[in-house]
Amino acid sequence: MRLRVALAVVVLVAGVVAAAQEGGRFRGRGRRAPVVEPARVDYDGRFAFVRLRYREGGGFFGGDPGWAHDYPRAERNFMRILEDLTLLRVHRDRSNIFTLDDPELGNYPVAYMSEPGYWTMNEAELEGIRAYLAKGGFLIFDDFRGEHWYNFEEQMRRVVPDGRLVELDAANPIFHSFFEINDLDEQIGYYGRATFYGMYEGNDPARRLMLIANYNHDIGEFWEYSDTGFVPIALSNEAYKLGVNYVMYGMTH
Amino acid sequence: MLESLVQLLFGHRPVLFSQGELQFAAGVGSYVAAAAGVAALAMAVAAYRTAPRLGWRDRWILLGIRATLLSLLVLALFRPVLVVRAAVPQQNFVGVLLDDSRSMQIADFGEGTPRSGFVTDQFGAADRGILGRLGEKFVVRTFGFASTAARVNEERPLTFSGSQTRLGPSLDAARQELAGLPLAGLVVVSDGADTGGTALDPTLLRLRADGIPVFTVGVGQERASRDIQVGRVATPRTALKGTSLMVDVVVSHSGYAGETVTVDVEDDGRIIGSQQVRLPADGSPATARVRVQADDAGPRVFRFRVAPRPDELVAENNAREALVDVRDRQEKILYFEGEPRSEFKFIRRALDEDRNVRVVALQRTADNKFLRLGVDGPDDLVAGFPKTRDELFAYRGLILGSVEAAAFTGDQLRMIAEFVDRRGGGLLVLGGPRSFGEGGWAGTAVADVLPFVLERGPSEPALERLTVRPTRAGALQALTQIAATEADSAERWSTMPGLTAVNRVDTVKPGATVLLTGAREDRGERPVLAFQRYGRGHVYAFAAQDSWLWQMHASVAVDDLTHEYFWRQLLRGLVEGVPDPVELTTMRDRVEPGERVSLGVSVADAGFVEVNDATVVAQVTGPDGAVTAVPLQWSGEASGQYGGAFPTGAPGWYEVRIDATRGERTLGSSVAHVRATAGDAEYFDATMQATALRRLAEETGGRFYTPDTVSGLPEDMNYTGRGVTTVEERELWHMPILLVLLVGLACAEWAYRRKAGLT
Repeated sequence: MRLRVALAVVVLVAGVVAAAQEGGRFRGRGRRAPVVEPARVDYDGRFAFVRLRYREGGGFFGGDPGWAHDYPRAERNFMRILEDLTLLRVHRDRSNIFTLDDPELGNYPVAYMSEPGYWTMNEAELEGIRAYLAKGGFLIFDDFRGEHWYNFEEQMRRVVPDGRLVELDAANPIFHSFFEINDLDEQIGYYGRATFYGMYEGNDPARRLMLIANYNHDIGEFWEYSDTGFVPIALSNEAYKLGVNYVMYGMTH
Repeated sequence: MLESLVQLLFGHRPVLFSQGELQFAAGVGSYVAAAAGVAALAMAVAAYRTAPRLGWRDRWILLGIRATLLSLLVLALFRPVLVVRAAVPQQNFVGVLLDDSRSMQIADFGEGTPRSGFVTDQFGAADRGILGRLGEKFVVRTFGFASTAARVNEERPLTFSGSQTRLGPSLDAARQELAGLPLAGLVVVSDGADTGGTALDPTLLRLRADGIPVFTVGVGQERASRDIQVGRVATPRTALKGTSLMVDVVVSHSGYAGETVTVDVEDDGRIIGSQQVRLPADGSPATARVRVQADDAGPRVFRFRVAPRPDELVAENNAREALVDVRDRQEKILYFEGEPRSEFKFIRRALDEDRNVRVVALQRTADNKFLRLGVDGPDDLVAGFPKTRDELFAYRGLILGSVEAAAFTGDQLRMIAEFVDRRGGGLLVLGGPRSFGEGGWAGTAVADVLPFVLERGPSEPALERLTVRPTRAGALQALTQIAATEADSAERWSTMPGLTAVNRVDTVKPGATVLLTGAREDRGERPVLAFQRYGRGHVYAFAAQDSWLWQMHASVAVDDLTHEYFWRQLLRGLVEGVPDPVELTTMRDRVEPGERVSLGVSVADAGFVEVNDATVVAQVTGPDGAVTAVPLQWSGEASGQYGGAFPTGAPGWYEVRIDATRGERTLGSSVAHVRATAGDAEYFDATMQATALRRLAEETGGRFYTPDTVSGLPEDMNYTGRGVTTVEERELWHMPILLVLLVGLACAEWAYRRKAGLT
């Protein structure tokens, strides 16, 4: 409980700091509709972070919609880590925000969604994300907990009606695609014990994972505050390790 | 026609003049006649000299005519004779070789009469026709020939069913059987279509050495009136299961210019490919490129067929068969990617469903850190890119992604070049910021094998957006044909999303073929996919960096498989034809039952160094399941080349498995299949080959005849000068030509005198 309170404080502070740093892009009061300017990177073959923007179903925090949580510091920090640790050529200081039916989405085969507990879609978005996954795209779902699962599961059922979300263990290749993450119990979730779910292509464990969902976890939050001292370095490290592995997996499987 | 005219005017067949010697049998009377002639000429000179009203020109012309007339008269009175050596009746032999092959059943002799009809009519019985006339003067030995010659008799009559015509060996066989006999010559009655593939020169040499003239009789039309023929089919001897082959089928014809025909490909009765082709003008062949899917493993006989027309002369030459050994095995390709990128993922995904091509992937994710996927075991490639030739040469294909040359040692760079040059492997280099010139590859051993010309010096990646399209060569290649037909493929290419490239590659090497080009937004075109052979292997270079957009782009439908199809085709092309350390080749994929099959085997070790001290044994499994071991010997002519042969027996399939060992170590094995079956080559190019028959006759001192001129054969045969002969003198003074000339000259003089006003 104490940890949750502490994290809540951190998140609150982080939100203010991030908003201040970005010129108040997501600044707002209450739950007014956010002013979102689509962020885009001209495709040039390099990896760019993609944050998925979905229709609002709630999840506002400090005026930010759920999909925008931790933006942009999370991706900026994460891209620096990716660039420093790996040979991946990245857009370090720029990233994308795409709706699920954005035609540009296909140019980036790895995409990130925050707060899927509030995720809703219209038909066009549904078709867009369904095609993305079927063609080979990889999704990272982050920052959800408790009853958020039900919405996430329901939306995923709409996207892949036959798909089954399965809990992943440490033996899964996604936890060994760059860093060797051998014990998932060491992954202290943001909201409790983190559980990692995935969905295999054709529900066949011999095939690739189409997505990974960090249930009870918020690695984006750790990325965002990794350079502030608000979160333990060890936990930020683990969050980065997960992120790097997810991207490597998504780029190879 | 000309020959008949000569015979009419000269009273003898031309052969007498070519063989005989001109002499004069003059008597006393001849000299008296000569003196009288001179006197008559002198009187004529005196008479014309004093004749009034004659000019000098008239006088000379009239005297010339008179002098010629008197000279011819005197020549005749000197009794010219032709001394010839004529065969003594029934003292000499003649070998008559009658074509007993299937092509003699072609009905182009007269109205619906087969060629065999002429043979039966003129040479079928000893008491009639040409054979009867030959029999009056010679002892005739009749042979039937197809693959070889054998005497024709009641037990072995002519059947016109031979599946092969081998003129040289047949003549050799007849010559040997008649050796020691007084042989006047050989007669060959045939359409001249030699299907044995053996050269005639050695036979001609032996015939000339023995002084045996060959008289040839050409049966059949030199040019078919209306016929379609599947002339040539170019298929690989082996193919990987599931591969799409683009097969060139050459269709020749006469009489069907402008018509469109369909080339169907059948496998075991099923049509597995089809292509229409418009026939050009007579004499010009058309080439159809037919896509054939090799989906069933094992030795497959693909039948390429054009449906016969009702009025065609020969229906049997409308189909041609080709044996393709479809191998159901998994070929390994090593893909080394120097950085994490989506191209790696989607190329691997494209091969997911392909059970016959396996990509072993090694991706450098950080400095000295590699992600290995699809490896054989925990230690496979654990130290990164292979460091020995044995390790690298175990792969049949190699893909180099975006990786700089400096990532390899000098020896590794030479190994990669040798992988292509010596091992015969397929190399594919992909575009990327660390590829080609931008990756520092210029001046390396690998740059030599690439189809692109790389510029030396540092070069920073520069982004270009490209619209990719096939070149003409690419449109015809299976590799870059991304739909069922050429037209569908062109349509599909026109809608493919654009790609990007970061490598400055504008020039290809002279021996390279550009298959795909990319249209820039502002500055013309540049090569995107190029190919070239190098040494024993081949190299592809793909300059774009993100073909995966053909899969992920918003304009591409979810169920669109173009990206997968393209990469499957390209990677199958990469390993197609790549040799094993032990590689068996049979000279032919079909032989006649009973014919020998020649085997050639190249043997090398794992590093593809030729081995000359190997033990190489062929296990031949016949149609009855019996296995025969055939040891093969080092040829001594080239390193690692072994040869041998085995005889076939019953018709059917013969499986040949080669095992090569060196001491206790197995070097490798290879399997090939051969069919022993009667072929239908007799019906191809089955028009009468007058040139070959004429050459055979002229080079041996014989003559060439057609059915129209063959009646002179028995008499010509009489004067070959071979065998037991007697000297004959043939009088020439009564040649009709002399009479014609004398009368003609007399008439000419009379006419000229009248014109000149003389009486």
